[in-house]
Amino acid sequence: MGFPIQVIEGNILNIEVSLNIYNKEIVVAALYELTSVCYIQQEEKDQKTILVSFEPKSDIDINLIAKKFCNNLIDQQIRYNTNQQFGRIRDMIVEEAFKPISNK
Amino acid sequence: MLPFIKDYMANKTYTILPFRFERFNEEEYLLTNEVGEFLFIKTNDFYCFTNNELDTQSDVFFNLKSKQIVTDTEIEPVIKMLATKYRTKKSILRDFTSLHMIVPTLRCNSSCIYCQVSRKDLNDHQVDMDKKTARNTVKIIFQSPSPYIKIEFQGGDPSTYFEMVQYIIEEAEWKNLFEKKILEFVICTNITLLTPSMVKYLKKHKCVISTSLDGPKDLHNKNRPLQNTEFTFDIFEENLEMIRGLMGKDSVSALMTTSVYSLGRFKEIIDEYVRLGFHDIFLRSLNPYGFAKRDENKIAYPLDDFLKNYKEGLDYIIEINRKGTYFVEGYAALLLKRILTPYATGFVDLQSPSGVGISCAMYDYNGNVYVSDEARMMARVNNHYFKMGNVNENSYQDMFNGELLHKVIESSCTECLPACAECVYQPFCGADPVRNYSEQGSIVGYRPTNETCRKNKFIMNYLLVLIKKNDPEINSIFWSWITKRTVIEN
Repeated sequence: MGFPIQVIEGNILNIEVSLNIYNKEIVVAALYELTSVCYIQQEEKDQKTILVSFEPKSDIDINLIAKKFCNNLIDQQIRYNTNQQFGRIRDMIVEEAFKPISNK
Repeated sequence: MLPFIKDYMANKTYTILPFRFERFNEEEYLLTNEVGEFLFIKTNDFYCFTNNELDTQSDVFFNLKSKQIVTDTEIEPVIKMLATKYRTKKSILRDFTSLHMIVPTLRCNSSCIYCQVSRKDLNDHQVDMDKKTARNTVKIIFQSPSPYIKIEFQGGDPSTYFEMVQYIIEEAEWKNLFEKKILEFVICTNITLLTPSMVKYLKKHKCVISTSLDGPKDLHNKNRPLQNTEFTFDIFEENLEMIRGLMGKDSVSALMTTSVYSLGRFKEIIDEYVRLGFHDIFLRSLNPYGFAKRDENKIAYPLDDFLKNYKEGLDYIIEINRKGTYFVEGYAALLLKRILTPYATGFVDLQSPSGVGISCAMYDYNGNVYVSDEARMMARVNNHYFKMGNVNENSYQDMFNGELLHKVIESSCTECLPACAECVYQPFCGADPVRNYSEQGSIVGYRPTNETCRKNKFIMNYLLVLIKKNDPEINSIFWSWITKRTVIEN
């Protein structure tokens, strides 16, 4: 794999996540699913980049994990963007649903 | 128009409404809205939609609009309509605890290899409920605000202490003369100890019988041997005929439990159910409680094995229906009702918030009250985390409005749980805090390795694959399961 994915020490991958493309909040969401198969560390490389390191817990294809993470980032960013639009609407639906009904 | 919507709509042609999504296959996304309406959409269309670039005159847009995932009109009426549907889906919460399970005794005459309740010997009367506890149990049950009360006798095997079953039924009926609720009874028993006299009593008091049948004779005898006899299945079959003769042919329902010996034999198990005149089956995996957990190295199996068998079993049941025999897979039918209809289904093990305590409660032989049957099973191995109290010591308010129940329910709304909150299957699914705690040490659970999550996702995904085929026969079969009518009647 090329930039921004780097292999270090044989079985550890580093991926640089650009905060110009993805919101910071979604990185953790994208990583959550992968914590069952990898040890994961995040650190701020600079103001515009988060460095994520993956160390597999067992004998798995770390490249596939990296690819899955990249796809997860896209899905989570879409969720973030759309939730910015409709998050309040969801709250309103639930609030309206549980409002007491007038017996008048 | 709502102020924030007005600002948002300034440069846009439509408003996106709440939805969840997942890549369904290489070409399509699956979308679900807040109330479980779903849609498949091509990848390119999905990206156009989420970037507010979708043609509002396209079929894709109209489909999304029909599922209330998007609107290009006033939003307030849409919110009201979605709220009404949401209220319908959550109507299971309205009445509070309606299912009350009572353990009159832990004694049992079976030696099931996967016993989840850690049964006791037939002679161990120390595990019988006493009359004072029974009276207090009934008193607590009738303090539930639910207009509908179902009392379900569990065990052990409750038929080993039938006098207490009778005592509780009569105590409840007496109480109900004043409370005037809709009162029903169920007895969960291996039926091998039921006599004609007992059956006539159950019939008189409209007590439904639920039993277990694990498959053909050799498999049933292997999984569920009676103590002191080799003729378990024969006794079961004989008593089944006797009960049906007295109560009617549909008076007994059955379910199965999958052990390692059941794998690869689902077709035979289903055939046995058909042969014995049952019209439905619940293809259940092993629950990790009691002896099942203790002996898991002997009788447990990887989840993938169960899922493979489940899929084959479901396909086989669909084929049986295609050939004209009405036969239902219970879990699939439940999920189909959630996927294809706007109605709620009261299945306490798969609700949001979880049904533990607020839809069901378990009253043990010693008066201890637990949030569910599984919580009672955990107590048997000295884990009392989910004990709400005791009928002889605590009030209804202490137990059903106590700190424990509040904490458990707060942590069991899938709308707010990690991974569940964004899951496309969330509207059809539910939380199981007891199982999460038992297997993962936390009532919230850890989704990436949660086997209940993986099982439910697999089954829901497969049902949606079948629905997506739009095969008229499969559609008819599924609707016959939902409406509980045969295909011909439909």
